[in-house]
Amino acid sequence: MATQDGLDWAGESGQVSELRGSLFKYACLGAVSFALLSVLVLLLYVAADALRPFSADPGWHLVYFVTLVLPALGLAGSYVRSEKPAGEVAVATVGIPIVGLLLAAAVAVVLSIGLLSVAELFAMTIATAVAVGVIVVHARNRPRAAFERLVVLVGAPTVALLGLPPLEVVWLINTALAELGTAARIPLRVISLRELVLSAPVLPLGWMMLVGSVTVPVAGALGVVVARRRERARDAVTFVAGAAAFAAVGAFVGPALGVDPTVWILVATFAVAPVAVYVEGVVRREDGVAGLAFPVVLVGGVLAGAVLVEQFGFAPPEPWLDWQFLTSVHSRTPADAGFYPPIVGSVMMMIVVALAAFPVGVGAAIYLEEYAPDGGLAGRFVTLVEINIGNLAGVPSVVYGLLGLALFIRFLDMPSGSVIVGGLAIALLILPIVIISAQEAIRAVPDSHRQASYGMGATRWQTIRQVVLPQAMPGILTGTILAVGRAIGETAPLLMIGAASSVRLAPSGFFDQLPAMPRQIFAWSTNLEPEIRHGVLAAGVVTLLVVLLVMNGTAIIIRNKFQREA
Amino acid sequence: MSTDTPTEDITSRPPGRAARERIYRYLLFACASASIFVTIGIVALLAKDALDFFGLVDPVAFFTGTEFLLSRDQFGVLPLVSGTLLVTVIAAAIALPVGVAAAVYLSEYASDRARSILKPSLEILAGIPTVVYGIFALVYVTPFLRVFGLPLNTFNVLSASLMVGIMIIPMVSSLSEDAMSAVPDSLREGAYGLGATKYEVSTGVVIPAALSGIFSSFILALSRAIGETMIVAVAMGSRSRLIDFANPLQNLWQGNQPMTAAMVQINSADNVSGPGFKSMFAIGLTLFVITFLMNLASNRIAARYREEYS
Repeated sequence: MATQDGLDWAGESGQVSELRGSLFKYACLGAVSFALLSVLVLLLYVAADALRPFSADPGWHLVYFVTLVLPALGLAGSYVRSEKPAGEVAVATVGIPIVGLLLAAAVAVVLSIGLLSVAELFAMTIATAVAVGVIVVHARNRPRAAFERLVVLVGAPTVALLGLPPLEVVWLINTALAELGTAARIPLRVISLRELVLSAPVLPLGWMMLVGSVTVPVAGALGVVVARRRERARDAVTFVAGAAAFAAVGAFVGPALGVDPTVWILVATFAVAPVAVYVEGVVRREDGVAGLAFPVVLVGGVLAGAVLVEQFGFAPPEPWLDWQFLTSVHSRTPADAGFYPPIVGSVMMMIVVALAAFPVGVGAAIYLEEYAPDGGLAGRFVTLVEINIGNLAGVPSVVYGLLGLALFIRFLDMPSGSVIVGGLAIALLILPIVIISAQEAIRAVPDSHRQASYGMGATRWQTIRQVVLPQAMPGILTGTILAVGRAIGETAPLLMIGAASSVRLAPSGFFDQLPAMPRQIFAWSTNLEPEIRHGVLAAGVVTLLVVLLVMNGTAIIIRNKFQREA
Repeated sequence: MSTDTPTEDITSRPPGRAARERIYRYLLFACASASIFVTIGIVALLAKDALDFFGLVDPVAFFTGTEFLLSRDQFGVLPLVSGTLLVTVIAAAIALPVGVAAAVYLSEYASDRARSILKPSLEILAGIPTVVYGIFALVYVTPFLRVFGLPLNTFNVLSASLMVGIMIIPMVSSLSEDAMSAVPDSLREGAYGLGATKYEVSTGVVIPAALSGIFSSFILALSRAIGETMIVAVAMGSRSRLIDFANPLQNLWQGNQPMTAAMVQINSADNVSGPGFKSMFAIGLTLFVITFLMNLASNRIAARYREEYS
């Protein structure tokens, strides 16, 4: 095309202003930095209030800087520069025991508040094992009887764990019958295997049951990893036996060393055994063995620092966020105030949220992605559902609190401010988020895989279960963990369903009063005492943020691992 | 071809398989319908109590009253609405420009490495619980702003709105960045080919092309600011006031109470019953309708722009 005379769009070179462009660029960079830095500074302030690093002697900082920070930084630097796998090994060998210890602490708390006794745990394990065994044997002997398998799949766990009909159902029906004034009651029920075990005249000793119901299943799962890696099934059996033996030793050696046998068994199960498997794998592969030095340096640095600080008599800092804060109950005096009931309450609420939102959310996502018809009345219904889910994700959380109040407390007459009501209200709140993220994960599974599965003669459900879900699961899990993380921090719904502040007892059942971390933080925020405002409150905020950080970190690790494999 | 292959094994349908397929289908359908029931539940349960409330209190008095005082049974919603408006406007004044500028940087200027660090960091900001933002406003931001000589009360509109604004920045930036990344590279290359600078491409091509996505992120962020509860409940006090136009800055220094905080206050007060308690549901329904309509509009706009470029 011939050039016309209107070249004014290009301008002359003198009109191109470099200044304007770079001003714009730095303004945009400034916007990102403003958002990030303002919050970072506030986080630093709250961390400084909670940990009070400046209450220590300068010498204390110096000692730990020399014994711990310098060697660790040097080692980390050398990993970054030379060996990438060693860095990963270093992170994993530090992270696995931390996560393991957190899990062990969670189980110990569950046992100590009486939510579940060791005997119940043991009975449940045996009943579950028998139910799984029945299902596996049935599937092996009668592989083609699909409907029968469905019956076994639902029936075996029900009979083994709950009885027929379940105790709670019998109780409900009997109360309903009594309300109606009839004398009829359900006279008989098939007692479940779990109840049978519980009512057995002789139960094994506590530590034996703990090893049987915690160590053996966890070690079994790890043993599968071992067996797959070495391609020898017998090694798995050896590993499980070894782990169980090591845990059992604690029952005898522990008291002599002043360690509670329960603590020994839980730590051995959740921290020692996984680390052993991981370290063994690293040594065998001879890939990044140098990374194993990192935890040794950390532990050595802490010990050496402790000895030196003791020697010189340097005063350590006096943080608000300490062991006492995490393990004691609420108190009026700031120095004794604790956060234990809210932590337990939040964890229990999280269990309710996950159990309620995950199955329904994933089920809805599967329907919308795999079954949803395109046209017709049903198709229009599906479009309506999708639009509705998108809108529900933006409804303010306080409205969900109002829904929980109206639905669960006023309509269904559940106890006000209980764990179950809080959990269910927040589960409704995160349901749209779970559905949307699960939909994205399912959509990412390539269609060719589905068609290959159909081509082999698989039905739609078989395709979903064997092909789609295994591939989508990491994405679904990531989305769910992030959503549950959001659930922990939600405060407004808890206020609306009447969660009380300053509950002095950790809940030991799902119908107990719910003390939750954000609720307690809100209660503290109305207190004007400076020691509360700049001490206890900050410690609570930091605890909540650390829990969130651990959860989000887990989700991101799952996502990265998945992305690398894909 | 041999005829003795067990063809019936391949084509046979084991008894019950079709039934099982159907059971799973219905189960999953029930899960999908759950979201509809949630919406119906919200509307029905809130409307029931809200109607009770309007039986006790004249709707005209509710929507046009200029005073909200539980102790004197005054239920004018206007002061609450004005409090919500005030927070939303200040938060938007911060979050919209900052969010869009951040999105431009992430989408047009940042290197891949910088983006891979900055984007997750912004997502982390979105994951901080709002009660924590409220405490930031109350304990740290207000004393900080006083250093500059601002005559702030302990509970004030300014620091709470600032934190609401910072809280919704990630929402604006992440959705706007998605929209800008979706602008086809051919448009950018065309502009470069015509001699445009990077600045001209960003402001003259990318932002206009992504405008509907940016608007949709604005609406979503505003709806989030309107529904934000904990920041305002923690840091803005519990006294509702109409906006004072004679003395505009005074509105920022003193406390105020938006709709969400009023609901929390009504529910946490023990001795409130009758119309006071029911008024909570009327306010909640108003809030639900406003945010639901805004989300609907936002999704509509976003859906239209998705069709343009894919």
